[in-house]
Amino acid sequence: MGVEPGRLQFSWISSAESTKFVDVVKQVTESVKELGPNEKFIKKTVKVS
Amino acid sequence: MDAYITKIKEISERLLKDGTVEAVIGFRQGTVPTMSEPCMIKRSDDVKDLVWDSNCRINLCNYLTNRKEKLAIVAKGCDSRNIVTHIIENKIKRDQLFIIGVPCKGMNDKNTGELQDNCGTCTHRNPVIYDELVGDLVEEQTDVDKYADVKKVEALSSDEKWNFFNDLYSSCTRCHACRNACPLCYCPTCFVDESKPQWVGKADDAVDIRTYHFLRAYHCAGRCTDCGSCEAACPQNIKVRQMTKKLEKDCSELYGWEAGLTLDERPPLDTFKVDDREDFIK
Amino acid sequence: MNETLSIRANIMKVINIDKEKWASGVESLTSTYRLFGPVKEDDSHNFKELKKGELPDLAYGNSKLSPKSAVFPPSEAMFTYSLDEKNENHHILNDVKKDYSPRAVLGIRPCDAKAVSLVRMNFDTKEYRDPYWMDAFEATTFVGLACDNPCSTCFCTSTGCGPFSEEGLDVLLVENGNAYIAKALTAKGEKLMDAAGFKTAGDDSAIAAKKAAAEAKITASIETDKLSEKVIMDLYDAPIWDDISFSCINCCTCTYACPTCWCFDIQDENKGLSGVRMRNWDSCMTPLFTMHGSGHNPRSQKKQRVRQRFMHKLKYFLDKYQKGIMCVGCGRCVQQCPVNIDIRTVSKKMNDYVAAS
Repeated sequence: MGVEPGRLQFSWISSAESTKFVDVVKQVTESVKELGPNEKFIKKTVKVS
Repeated sequence: MDAYITKIKEISERLLKDGTVEAVIGFRQGTVPTMSEPCMIKRSDDVKDLVWDSNCRINLCNYLTNRKEKLAIVAKGCDSRNIVTHIIENKIKRDQLFIIGVPCKGMNDKNTGELQDNCGTCTHRNPVIYDELVGDLVEEQTDVDKYADVKKVEALSSDEKWNFFNDLYSSCTRCHACRNACPLCYCPTCFVDESKPQWVGKADDAVDIRTYHFLRAYHCAGRCTDCGSCEAACPQNIKVRQMTKKLEKDCSELYGWEAGLTLDERPPLDTFKVDDREDFIK
Repeated sequence: MNETLSIRANIMKVINIDKEKWASGVESLTSTYRLFGPVKEDDSHNFKELKKGELPDLAYGNSKLSPKSAVFPPSEAMFTYSLDEKNENHHILNDVKKDYSPRAVLGIRPCDAKAVSLVRMNFDTKEYRDPYWMDAFEATTFVGLACDNPCSTCFCTSTGCGPFSEEGLDVLLVENGNAYIAKALTAKGEKLMDAAGFKTAGDDSAIAAKKAAAEAKITASIETDKLSEKVIMDLYDAPIWDDISFSCINCCTCTYACPTCWCFDIQDENKGLSGVRMRNWDSCMTPLFTMHGSGHNPRSQKKQRVRQRFMHKLKYFLDKYQKGIMCVGCGRCVQQCPVNIDIRTVSKKMNDYVAAS
């Protein structure tokens, strides 16, 4: 739909896998930071008539 | 068509007279040349109003949701597939229904008068479930490329896709005709109508409009029969199927699934199988 | 309003506009007016603010959406606010600065112009004056374009309107070969004609025949003659509504396309500590329209909502204002309804209904 690949990620982490959770979050954060802010989903202000 | 109409009237009259059903859901003559109006016939004297033509685009399964009485319904191929989905999802019971099956050669586009897009690539023109047919089964189309236009969109870059959908939905007024014409959209309160708390903005904002269309499409993934009711209903002639069809394609490729063909299997997104693909999960 | 009408009756100037001079005239308007007009998009027309150098496309039958958006936009900001106490005006609704400089709607159809005057009855009353709608309305000059070729779904001649109706217009343009015959109907209209440099005196003798010809092309009609004598509750309780509402899917197509539908919903949209209070078109077709804060919904059923729409247009409005029905016969709802609910059929059923005594 036009969202850059990499901005949406899926991971399967069990509640017992705390280290994996930390690693994945770090990794996702880094890769999303690399993509920069998502300008596409910013709403415009309402028109003035 | 005339033979179909005679048969629809004949069956309906019989069912109403002998009390098999309380009402028949079908179409009656419209007031403009390109339209027929969905109607509910309750008295056998009124079956004369029933018609069938290439303007019966709206999916009648839409009118079955949560009904309690015994009903007959006139159903073309796609309608019948949605009836199957409705039965699976407990929106109607099979034994409440008398399905008057209509083998269908396609509906005409309300604007151009030519065969509707989805009908051109339809591979289930005959009802998949019925109690009585109004005519001989028609030959199914086999050599069709259902997803030619989806493939074009898939080939675009992510920015191009973004712009493509922006243009696609640019004239949307959020009248929600696509949702309301869709037999799958029966949520008691749609997420866009949720007010406590409110999830989606109400202004004519491109992001909110897109959110509505995408979420709706995803909600219908694996259930959509590509009946084209949404597109036929859209007053702005937006090709809303560009999105729903992509998900239909994915379900076909990922799960080998076509919606509404059997009562014995639930749609892939509400079941789990050990061999479900999971290569998108890291 | 009566005052305005009487002024209108007094001013009438006929001007001849050579089509070759139309573009330059419109161009000279842009220094004083914001211009709105029909613009072709894909296969249909809609009223949009014209870009610089853009001309209204006057070769159109009926715009998809009515031009009501020129004075009543689908979404309109009213106030801004901030909850940030560091901000000087925090916790106060601040007016949004609006542009109410003169604007003109070019090429509006007579039915849509009449619709504006019907909507005004709601927004300009003794007790209340809707500032947004009225300020926009007063800033606007309506330049109408008579219909020579009405659509098959048009039934304006039976709604107290017509393809050459002048109600609600400041100028009426009538196409006449290589020229437009312009009737400046109000002071506002004359001013606009002056600003455009359209000054050549014209002759309106050709209009009567054209008007008759256009009216003769309209074969559809709506039956309303007995509606005023009906008892509201008889119609309300009439057994006709189940059948009428059955096919309705409760989308907002009819209400958004309708030039006389004026309902709106006020929404706050926050971002962090600040936000905008705006109003958006609303529709009596949706359950949310009447949802109370308590969770109770007096119009929770489709039948109630469909009945409300038609009763409002064809009965409540008629009884309240005694100025006819709240429908100008533009035919948009008839054309665009996904399930072919036709206001003409509904009106006939209401008109013919006799309550069992």
